[in-house]
Amino acid sequence: MLLYGEAWPRMPDTESLQDCPCVGPTREPDLHPGFMEEERNSDEKENALQERSLSAASRDGELQISAVPLAQGKVEERKVYSGDGVLGYLEMLEAQAHELGLKQEEKEQQEKKLDRLKARVQELRAQRDELRAKVELQEKRLLDKEGVVTDPAKPSAQTVLEWKMKSIKAMLQIFYLTGISGKLTKHGVCFCISTAYEGTYLDSYYVDLLIKPEVKIQRHSVPVFIPLEQIAKKYLQTDIRRFLSVLSDHLNAYVGRRHQADQLEEHFSDRIEGTLQRNSLCNLLVFNYNVSSNNKTFLFNVRLLYGDLCRSLPTEAIISCETGALSLLAEMAAAHSDAFRHVALHKAFNLLFNAKESQD
Amino acid sequence: MMFLCAERGLWGVGLISRGTLGVVAISPSAGHSFGCLQELGWGAVIGENIQTCCQLCTHGTSGVLIMDEVITEYIRRTVLKIPRDEIMAVLQKWGFLSEAQLQTINFRQTKESISHSVAQLCEESSANIKQAALLDIIYNHIYPNKRVWSVYHMNKTGEETDLFDFRDFKKKFRRRIQSALINVTINFREYEDNAIWIRIAWGTPYTKPNQYKTSYVVYHSQTPYVFISASVLRSNLPLLCQALVFASNYHDIREMELRSHCLNSLKDIVFKRYSQNFQTNYPQQERNVLTENVDLRINDENRSEKERIHRLNLECFGDGPQPKLDFAQYKLETMFKSDPRWDVLEKKEPFRCLVKFSSPHLLESLKSLAPAGLADAPLSPLLTCIPQKARNYFKIREKKSLLPGSFVSP
Repeated sequence: MLLYGEAWPRMPDTESLQDCPCVGPTREPDLHPGFMEEERNSDEKENALQERSLSAASRDGELQISAVPLAQGKVEERKVYSGDGVLGYLEMLEAQAHELGLKQEEKEQQEKKLDRLKARVQELRAQRDELRAKVELQEKRLLDKEGVVTDPAKPSAQTVLEWKMKSIKAMLQIFYLTGISGKLTKHGVCFCISTAYEGTYLDSYYVDLLIKPEVKIQRHSVPVFIPLEQIAKKYLQTDIRRFLSVLSDHLNAYVGRRHQADQLEEHFSDRIEGTLQRNSLCNLLVFNYNVSSNNKTFLFNVRLLYGDLCRSLPTEAIISCETGALSLLAEMAAAHSDAFRHVALHKAFNLLFNAKESQD
Repeated sequence: MMFLCAERGLWGVGLISRGTLGVVAISPSAGHSFGCLQELGWGAVIGENIQTCCQLCTHGTSGVLIMDEVITEYIRRTVLKIPRDEIMAVLQKWGFLSEAQLQTINFRQTKESISHSVAQLCEESSANIKQAALLDIIYNHIYPNKRVWSVYHMNKTGEETDLFDFRDFKKKFRRRIQSALINVTINFREYEDNAIWIRIAWGTPYTKPNQYKTSYVVYHSQTPYVFISASVLRSNLPLLCQALVFASNYHDIREMELRSHCLNSLKDIVFKRYSQNFQTNYPQQERNVLTENVDLRINDENRSEKERIHRLNLECFGDGPQPKLDFAQYKLETMFKSDPRWDVLEKKEPFRCLVKFSSPHLLESLKSLAPAGLADAPLSPLLTCIPQKARNYFKIREKKSLLPGSFVSP
């Protein structure tokens, strides 16, 4: 029985093995009927082979192996005794399978053809649409030239709606510039506090609130040194607006103080002796700087205390001098202290030192 | 009076009296010690007990400073811990040795030799204990992940604004600790992110501080969280906590169930600096859509499922990097729930069981469980609540009600 025959794909165009250049005519008697096409007299050959193999079997009692080269490669087939009964039945099944294979192939080819034609149809349709559009354009141009006023295209309700939605979305997107913005979530609201100081936008902080059963903070990104729990305890249950406003004040003031200290360090690091000492909330700043008076330099030590956490200006500015020359420089110290208390730190520094330079 | 332990197993007592440091050998065989000391080029005073030695020393006997050797040995061992390629950078940050001195060290030799060169230079420049402690702080600041850090939470009841002054804090802390235990070495260093590093070397009422038995405290001003890497001597922990509470104007302190090697991740968790997914109207960052191969020939059968998992993961974990934790431990004291027919346990006692998840990066691995197909999304809230609840030790007990279930308790 042939085991490998059907597994090898056939070359699509070789309808008969006679046309196949690789197979010579002398091999014909060795070919199992399975290799031959329907056009051949397979039954005849089958019987002949059967007889042969039977005789062969009776002769040797052994299997014969004959190699049949195909166009694709070498195949070794084993001829088993083909008798009637199971083996004959199997051969019949094989033949059926072979037929089905052929049919399937045909179908595939037809499908391929169909696809090709469909693609062609699409192409042609696209071409037609293009040409149609061109024609219309030409017609329109002709009409325009003739001076016929065409109706202005009425925007469809759809486009109006889309435009409205886009503009609202854009509005929501830039709403954060107001400082407090929010978005409804599944269980509540998520507020975003965007902080700024004198025109510079700085960090954004989020508070995620749950509405039911009572207003509660689910999670937040507020820094841990801001007294969020205290503010929440006081205002969250009663007046959310006030809560947000107070929290926003705290955050903006903190960010403002931090910004001032950073600016001072960045721009006036040469004026400051040593380092600027600060803390997490930036509500206590200590630093030293030199002042000159009567051609002598003195070291001033400044302690800026920001007692009110919602303000970004210090409540106290204590200036001390090391050598007790404070009595001489009392006026200058007072002026400096005043400047620090009323103007932003880096600006105050600017004023003091640029003013002095202009004086000198 | 200070007790010093010289290297060769001799006990030495050093006294400073009017600028002279006397070395006294107190050991069973005084003669032997004397011999050794002489070998080292030290003059020695031998006495039977401390008092006589002191008397002898205060009379102006000359001696040799051996305190230096302890310090230089400590510095040498600290330098040995640093990876070779980074020794130069660390020493520059330390700033004790000048650039010229650093140039003389050959950094291509073995670490052992480098450490000896550094020790030599430090001895020549008379490094003191404060410099050595500073080097240790710098080393631990650069490599904090070598220690295990626990987080402590402080409470206060007052509402007044806290004007935190670093100088005051240092003074109060030192005073409180030294009022109970004088034999400690305390050093402070402040960093730009308002982190205060405190190094404490513990002694006992009778012995000098052991520089190798140190505790570290990291505290950010005006926050209620303290990060402590305790040393072996847990007995000093109450004193340390007391001093912290006093110096930072809080009322009490308790240990949180949060522990890890990675200090920065612990900070991220308690300071809420990790990426939480907040819903906003404006697109802050572009959510990366599942951009995989855009090859149109490949069809993803599970696309909707994948997207669902991705969305749920994003809700639970956010889309930024996760804080790095080493483990999560769950202690279960729940009843074993089985078919009543198979009466596994005769006594209805809670089944005690400990489940520990360990990983080099626990939260990232949990985040990748669902996309990898190893677990169903959404993950159990017991796993996803770790950064939110700021804990990685859990105790799960039975809920004492009619409904079956379990609840998480502190």
